[in-house]
Amino acid sequence: MSAPSSTLREGALGTLAGTGKLLRFQARRTRVYLTGWIVGLVGFNGVIALSFPDLYPAPEDRAQLALSSNTPAMRSMTGPVEYLDAYTDSAAVVFAHQMILWVGAVVAVMFIMLVTRLTRSDEETSRLEVIRSNPVGRRADLAAALLLACFAAVALGALMALSVIGLDGFDAGDAALYGLLYTAIGIVFAAITAVAAQFAGYASTSNGLGFAALGFAVLTAAVGNAQDDWTVWLSPIGWGQLTFVGTPDQRWWPLAAAALIAVAAIALAFALVARRDFGQGLMPANPGRAEAKPGLRSVGALTFRLVRGTLWSALITMVLLGAAYGSVLGSVDDMLSGMSDLERSILAESGGSLEENFAITIAKMNAFVATVFGLLVIGRARTEETGGRGELLAAAPVSRSAWPGSYLPAALFAAAAGALAGGVSLGAIGSASVGDGAFFGKLLGAAAAQIPAVWVMTALAFALFAWLPRAGWLRWLPWVYAFVAGLFGDLLDLPGAARNASPYEHTPQYPAHDMEWLPLIALLAVAAAITAIGYIGVKRRNLQFG
Amino acid sequence: MLMTTVIRTEKLVKRFGHVTALDELDLSVDEGQTHGFLGPNGAGKSTTIRVLLGMLRADGGTARLFGADPWNDAAELHRRLAYVPGDVALWPGLTGGETIDVLGRLRGGIDRRKRDELLERFDLDPRKKGRSYSKGNRQKVALVAAFAADVDLLLLDEPTSGLDPLMAAVFNECVREAAARGTTVLLSSHVMSEVEQLCERVSIIRKGAIVESGTLAEMRHFTRSQVHAVLKKPARGLDDHEGVHDYAAEGLEVRFQVDGTALDDVLAQLAVAGIASLTCEPPSLEQMFLRYYGDELAAKGVDNGDGRRS
Repeated sequence: MSAPSSTLREGALGTLAGTGKLLRFQARRTRVYLTGWIVGLVGFNGVIALSFPDLYPAPEDRAQLALSSNTPAMRSMTGPVEYLDAYTDSAAVVFAHQMILWVGAVVAVMFIMLVTRLTRSDEETSRLEVIRSNPVGRRADLAAALLLACFAAVALGALMALSVIGLDGFDAGDAALYGLLYTAIGIVFAAITAVAAQFAGYASTSNGLGFAALGFAVLTAAVGNAQDDWTVWLSPIGWGQLTFVGTPDQRWWPLAAAALIAVAAIALAFALVARRDFGQGLMPANPGRAEAKPGLRSVGALTFRLVRGTLWSALITMVLLGAAYGSVLGSVDDMLSGMSDLERSILAESGGSLEENFAITIAKMNAFVATVFGLLVIGRARTEETGGRGELLAAAPVSRSAWPGSYLPAALFAAAAGALAGGVSLGAIGSASVGDGAFFGKLLGAAAAQIPAVWVMTALAFALFAWLPRAGWLRWLPWVYAFVAGLFGDLLDLPGAARNASPYEHTPQYPAHDMEWLPLIALLAVAAAITAIGYIGVKRRNLQFG
Repeated sequence: MLMTTVIRTEKLVKRFGHVTALDELDLSVDEGQTHGFLGPNGAGKSTTIRVLLGMLRADGGTARLFGADPWNDAAELHRRLAYVPGDVALWPGLTGGETIDVLGRLRGGIDRRKRDELLERFDLDPRKKGRSYSKGNRQKVALVAAFAADVDLLLLDEPTSGLDPLMAAVFNECVREAAARGTTVLLSSHVMSEVEQLCERVSIIRKGAIVESGTLAEMRHFTRSQVHAVLKKPARGLDDHEGVHDYAAEGLEVRFQVDGTALDDVLAQLAVAGIASLTCEPPSLEQMFLRYYGDELAAKGVDNGDGRRS
């Protein structure tokens, strides 16, 4: 009786049956996500590539830059020393040297979130359950997710290559390699996240494990390049840097390491996916408390409890980031001439020391990243609403300013705590690296002085959540603008008025100058006004549950 | 006894873009009443309840809860009510027990004894995390939280849709106990037997408007009963009677439907012909309900409750 039982088997494709159909379905579902990320990344890369040759037109400029950039601290934030030796060859070498680490990290974020979204998130919302109940193999959803990630990585790489093809010093082969290394980084992180997704109890853990891998990659690349040793070979982003793209030493084969790790990780993920139960990770979930802790007795307490994970990731990220920047501070003298026009112009008009001026830039960076966590908490408010969990709270004797209103204080707290944690870590490591204990207070003060600007941005996201809840991208737009205006304003030749729209432009130039209180008070007033508008908004609008 | 109205909506309108979800809806629920709110998915039951909870702002008409405005006084009014949504979403990282406690504490504290008794009755494990509960168990969490609260009004939106029959029976018992204490209950449902067992009054909603509202007895009076009689001699004129529908005679055996209003007249005529046997069945709530959706059902090729295609 083999005939009847065979209809119950999974067909010729076995556990992969239905992968093609799922792939089309998933591609359709993620087209906005993919288009947004790819356009953003390629656009950013292209714009910078266009402006690069003007920045360092003459080989002498670049030789000077190479000289000043050849310090452990500078290399940790850019790339291997081999590029520096070829700086005089072309602007493209400088471009590749300075871009790969950071663009590669953003590419990794894109692929970590993509794979989690296509695997564990769908299991949690039981969307995938509907799919699995169809004649679809056990491994088909993972296969479809990874195939889609690979296609996206190839498309991204091809477009990245196209966006730098006109860059002076890159021929077609160089441009192709430059694109390909992002394809490799994307696929490696997709594969690593696919493994993480099998272990993780739920989607946020899967993302967290992916980001941990990314942190490792950035850290090992930074350390390896600073020390000019083998450590960089531990980093998937490092493999991209080790192609020495555009230099005379250019080579393809470091990317083979990426291919090797990707294949191994994918094989592992496929082995694991059949070993775990649907909706459960391999890491066991513990039974919880039968009763709530006594402290959990208000909406505010509940909100803080729910964003606890975001809060911890804010603190850890900011401490690491502060330490990374702090360790660079001691060698700022060497790297000064390698810095952008922004630093030089600040220096020209200020009396502060080099370190003090550099501290301002670092404090701004610290603030940009801290703001992200405020925006993430505001995003949680929206997830609570559309996910329907807020319905139980909105039906309780709770005012709108408590729910969803308590997400604003939680967001302000997360962002400020992040900025301060970054400041403390920056101060501790930075003062040690400079060898001057007084720097602790200066660095912490510089980081703290940014908090009003961080709060303006967080309050703005809350007001947008209140008035235009459906437009989630809008909550991020001001931050993206301020970030681009702040970091690349010179490169993009932004007019002053356009730059002044960013609150980060108005924070005091401490410690290079005295602490100015008026701008801080003005920024706080702006944040308060935006907050008031936000609270009016949440009181006025319909709540949109499930 | 002075009856006060707990829920009253007059010409309530709610639009979502160009879709009119509530179209001049008039609903009235008196204190102490267990009121059935019947309608298929998309008729506007949940929208009505969310307007009453102040989650959605009405676009027209008025809504009153305990005589106050549910939009402006939402938080204050919510002290007096508990709500079970149709689709309960829980926090993935909180256990059921934590969720019940938090919801209880938001209204000023939870009766431990009552909470534990309800957990027992609904056979719910409070130590599991929100993300690992099934739909039925998520619903139980919300039900335990609601029944453990000492409130004047229960708003229950399809509360038994994920429960097994055993748990549905426990639920029925809890509603009866609440009603016995004088709690007003608005029970939105499409489980007719549940509404028939629990509710004194019923409102039927269709396309955002109440098409029928009354006690089950009143509604039966205005609807048709199925009559099956064996007569002693042929009856005349029955098939022409304006209160008689779907008349079918086979010898002395007749079957027909009769309007509630014409029942006495028609039975008198049967008595004239002489009755050998007689059954007269009032319509079930399901049949009454389906009558209001007769045209929709006919469009889908389904008989309506009268056994006719109208």
